[in-house]
Amino acid sequence: MTELASAPATMTAEQAVAVVTEFFDRYRRRDVEGMVDLCTDNADFSYPPFEVWAKQRVFRGDGKVRTVGKVIWTGLINSFPNLGNVVHQIDGNDNGDVAVVCDITGTQQIAWAFIKPAGGSIVAPHLFILHVDGDGLIDSIRAYWDNAQVCRDLGHLEVD
Amino acid sequence: MTTSPRQTVEAFLTGFRHLDSDAALSTVSADARITVYPLQIVDAGRDAMATLLQDIARSLPDLMLTVRSVLELGGVVVAEVKIEGTQAADFLGVVNQEKHLDVDSAWRFTVTGEEITGIDVYWCQNQLLRRLAVKRTDQIAIV
Repeated sequence: MTELASAPATMTAEQAVAVVTEFFDRYRRRDVEGMVDLCTDNADFSYPPFEVWAKQRVFRGDGKVRTVGKVIWTGLINSFPNLGNVVHQIDGNDNGDVAVVCDITGTQQIAWAFIKPAGGSIVAPHLFILHVDGDGLIDSIRAYWDNAQVCRDLGHLEVD
Repeated sequence: MTTSPRQTVEAFLTGFRHLDSDAALSTVSADARITVYPLQIVDAGRDAMATLLQDIARSLPDLMLTVRSVLELGGVVVAEVKIEGTQAADFLGVVNQEKHLDVDSAWRFTVTGEEITGIDVYWCQNQLLRRLAVKRTDQIAIV
């Protein structure tokens, strides 16, 4: 696991923003292991828009980074081999809270959830809310976006 | 006494919670820029927020807002809000079937002085349409 050797007991806003900036740099390089290395072992993960309604159960994007998050990121990169992000704004505070305004980009090559590949591309505005702990590791990741726009851009007009 | 950005946003949310759009909008600058991604409203004026708040108040009269977090990040405040209610009128083009709605949203406020000068709103429109029993995003009036 990557840890910042000189991480202080408390975060400054600048330090927290630096950790999160590195996280998005690794995401842009599609380095999932590197992303996970920036998170605590038990980091929380929540993507509220991620709902897959099957016949008898609903898969939700809620859980832990190392279980649910890693699987979603890996699946996204498989489906969108050129997955990228464009960070527009990062704001943080001395409590380790960081908000990131960014676009998630990519071109679909294989199926993603119920969406068959048609070569469509996405530029999806996202708001990420993360928390960096006193050791310089991310212990919470949440993200919000409009999945309807993603589906429309990929030619999938059914809600489920 | 000065008002912090967080207090300004909390005043907005209190007005929103009480279906009092005038009270909520009293915290928003006349030249505020409004973006509501799921409604494809980008960089619009304050009137766009007035319309949204009034639509919610009319369509979800039993509105319940659950604020999960309010984070102050300098002049930016981010609030995570669950919007719940029972549909009582057509809402965003969806005919009323008296369905219960719950949608997770995030609101990013830019606060300058004691006024909100920018609001960016994020939620998943598919999540909203699913709750209201809509099957296709190109036919939201057909249920």
